[in-house]
Amino acid sequence: MSVLQRAKTWEISDSEDEGDAQTKGEESRQTGLSADCGSSRGSQDTCTPHAVSQSNSLSPPRELKSGTPSPARKRRTKEEVEAERVKAKERKEARERERRAKAQEKEERRQEQQRRREAAERLKSLRPENCLKRLTVCVDPALLQHSGSDILLDTLVASEWKFSIESQQLSHSITWTRDVSQQGEESKGPVEEEQIILVLGLTDFMDMVIWVKKMLESDGEESPVESVLSPLLECLNRDAKKVVTVLVTDSQPHYRANSCREYTVHQTLQSQLGIDNLELEEVLVYLQLYKNVSVVFLDGWQNVTDHVCAVTKALSKRPFKILTERTELPFCVDGSWASGVRVERDGSGLSQVWSRQIQQLNRVSPAVASTITAAYPSPQILLQAYQSMESEEDRKGLLAGLLVKSGGKERRIGPDISARVYRCLTAHNSQLVLD
Amino acid sequence: MPASEPVRLGRKRALPTCPNPLFLRWLTELRDQAREKGLKTQHVYQKAISSLNKYPLPLKNAREAKILQNFGDGICKILDEKLQRYYRENGPEAPIHSLPEGAPPAGRPDNNSLAPTRKVRGEAGKRKKREYVPQKRSGGYAVLLALYRQAQIPGSKGYMFKLELQAEAQHLCDKSFTVPELGSKYTAWSSVSTLIQKNLVLKTHNPARYTGHTHGNTHTAKSQNLTKSICLISSKNRLVSVAPLRTDAGGTSCSGKPQAPPAASRRPNGERLLPGNYEIILCVDFIETTGGSHHCKQELVKELQRNRVTFDIRKLNVGDFLWVAREKVAPVPGQLRPPPGRELVLDYIIERKRMDDLCGSIIDGRFREQKFRLKRCGLRRPIYLVEECGTAASHLSLPETTLQQAIINTQVVDGFFVKRVQDVKESAAYLTVMTRYLSKLYQNRTLICRSRELEGDGESDEEERGNPSCTLISFTEFNQGAIKNKCQTVREVFARQLMQISGLSGDRAAAILEHYSTPRSLLTAYEQCASEAEKEKLLSSIRYGKLKRSVVQCLIFISFYFILHYISVYLYIIFFLALQIKTLKNTTDSCFTSVKNN
Repeated sequence: MSVLQRAKTWEISDSEDEGDAQTKGEESRQTGLSADCGSSRGSQDTCTPHAVSQSNSLSPPRELKSGTPSPARKRRTKEEVEAERVKAKERKEARERERRAKAQEKEERRQEQQRRREAAERLKSLRPENCLKRLTVCVDPALLQHSGSDILLDTLVASEWKFSIESQQLSHSITWTRDVSQQGEESKGPVEEEQIILVLGLTDFMDMVIWVKKMLESDGEESPVESVLSPLLECLNRDAKKVVTVLVTDSQPHYRANSCREYTVHQTLQSQLGIDNLELEEVLVYLQLYKNVSVVFLDGWQNVTDHVCAVTKALSKRPFKILTERTELPFCVDGSWASGVRVERDGSGLSQVWSRQIQQLNRVSPAVASTITAAYPSPQILLQAYQSMESEEDRKGLLAGLLVKSGGKERRIGPDISARVYRCLTAHNSQLVLD
Repeated sequence: MPASEPVRLGRKRALPTCPNPLFLRWLTELRDQAREKGLKTQHVYQKAISSLNKYPLPLKNAREAKILQNFGDGICKILDEKLQRYYRENGPEAPIHSLPEGAPPAGRPDNNSLAPTRKVRGEAGKRKKREYVPQKRSGGYAVLLALYRQAQIPGSKGYMFKLELQAEAQHLCDKSFTVPELGSKYTAWSSVSTLIQKNLVLKTHNPARYTGHTHGNTHTAKSQNLTKSICLISSKNRLVSVAPLRTDAGGTSCSGKPQAPPAASRRPNGERLLPGNYEIILCVDFIETTGGSHHCKQELVKELQRNRVTFDIRKLNVGDFLWVAREKVAPVPGQLRPPPGRELVLDYIIERKRMDDLCGSIIDGRFREQKFRLKRCGLRRPIYLVEECGTAASHLSLPETTLQQAIINTQVVDGFFVKRVQDVKESAAYLTVMTRYLSKLYQNRTLICRSRELEGDGESDEEERGNPSCTLISFTEFNQGAIKNKCQTVREVFARQLMQISGLSGDRAAAILEHYSTPRSLLTAYEQCASEAEKEKLLSSIRYGKLKRSVVQCLIFISFYFILHYISVYLYIIFFLALQIKTLKNTTDSCFTSVKNN
């Protein structure tokens, strides 16, 4: 019915429009400006369909107007000549403007693409393998006196990482710097990483233990006596953000498998100083709680080297990790569930995406999800089904009762899951709790 | 004819259509009883009711009902028993296809409360179902009233957090909101889920915020009227002596049941624990103490006992060990147990991993997930305790270097403190020494309670080494906040749904969420697009990434990135097109060409 009616009104308006245009056409022919007018009529023709149906009521007066023979016609033609000239000029300008706008748009698009490309490159530069290239391992020369330190240098050379041997603020330490010049707009030169590794031999470490023990006995008074620890403490006072790991190693490697690295340390401490395990533990806990310093006992320089390499690799992973973890999502974004489904050109994979999307609700099993996707193969189809239902209760319960087949047993989708799917897809309040 | 019987009870309105009113009534009673107890069988009864409703013929006995769907042996047997009893009471010739006149209403304890609401419902008009009205001084009643009162306070924030709400509602309720009654695992709080289901309370956000629903608010007003009337009724019975409306003090006096002590019902925020008034106690997750297969677990507890550490075994929702500062409370004369002291959590939390655990958790993904939750738990100094278990590392399914790298990543990337020990004995020694040193560290400090819910995780200003933070969260709040998969919001599910598309990482999903935080809003945006091309491009102009300066010193600059065009196209296809998957071929083809051109 409605279609028919509409067709009628169209007919009426069409004929009217034509008549209107014709009268105008005659007018303009008289003035001898047919060419321009023809184009204007054309434009009028194309733009009217919507407006005309409204102008139904207006048509009688317009007819009247065109019907009256007017004395003003001649004067108007002169004005019209002028007006047309102005119009033509305007059109030209408009065309010019359009051209300029297009050029500008093109330029903008180009810039946008440029920005995107740069952004992608920056993102790429944060990838661990690229970050690794900008890290420099800085080794204090004092460490080279250790007989096993060759292993470290050899490994650094072999891995093609940048490293430098220069005097560090903290003697016997290894630090890292990151070159950020390519990364940001402001090129500031290398930035120091927070991590510091201090490599101590057994005797130095024992000095440290004695010093801490004395201090603990004297009730927290840090003794003024110079010790191995004092440069470390100074370093920590300078920059509270630094994270120091003390690697304690015996310069003579023990070829006794890596089973009990600590054993030799303990033995030496016990035999030479009479310090038992508990006392050692106290020193370590003191360093942890008061100085945020961790101590690792390693057997020989091979293990020290491995440790340094692992820290370097970890540092290279950090920027990317921080970028991805920064998101304010309330769940861990890593894991197999988050890897996403590839969608192929023929659209395969889409149904799997939809199925896994339903599984993101708590306590929805793959079997339940595939039941829903079998009944409603896309979100939009499900939404249309919701729209076709009248009451809220019906929509909430739409999925309830669908038969789930899993492992021979038959179950039905419960009202809770049904209601949660409905609310998740249709809620306006993003903070609504579904469970 | 059954229909000719006068209908008196609300529930009988459905009867004329059902020729088996007696069975229907019994089933309804059974269902309601089950529902009150929160039993799953309520659904079984509900199913039976709906199939009985559909059956047009009168049934002679319960055995006949077995032909109906959802009628099993159990239900038939119950019905048969009831039928036998019915015959005994009313004579063997009693009609079973019509209800006896003056039959007692289905036995619900709150029948009295129906009287005042019936009128209101009559005015409201067409409601078919009986409205849910919580029983006076029940959990639901107290929660509604507390929310209503809070909403009446001018300038209030309009919602309440769980702890706040429990504190405010406790004195309006006879049952405890925190401790389940003897022989039951439900507290008064359990009724909140019913309120949410009935649309009386709205639960949003995570941590959860509770709001009286607009509809619910009128309801609360009603239930307050209700209170008055019930108060009148029951005062005759001398059960309630105090008017319930201003009963801040009267709450305890008007019921014989024990109440939560006033200390717990006060708002915990801003309270202080003075030096000397508290002790530091090690808390051990019960998982660490149970489980027969790992005999070393019991060994840990034994070792701690031998070291005379004061420790407490409880269920920790994140981490394996932590420390609380527990208020010392003197026993009150006349009470067997001292009132529970307040507990604040220190900032140190330990996750303990043996090498084989570590290996397993890396493989199944728990490793990252656990670290994530440790970072979010609100305690600022997470510690990873690695027990290396000697030579066991050599025959694990991951190479030693991978495991070492994972440990070092935990320190360098995640910023945890990593502690390495050899065995359980050393773990116990470490925990012992930590407990002693923490007691020492907190010896002369005044502790202030802060609330994460109310204040968020502000960076503490006392980040100096050796000066531990003294504004701490309460143990209850900490442990509740750490429950895994507790409640999903629409936003969270939507984010997870977005990430199901290959290439859509967490940060990209977060960027989309900033613009469209629900599936609904994204779909509306698609509907408002003028052309297909516009729809495809809708998301590709979203930028993500932020300028981040010197929060972490070494990371000066992270710039903006864009949602890739193909992802935008995929989202459009997946969320908006109402196509069968098979017919999608052409669409994806054309989209792919547009992706290539880009």
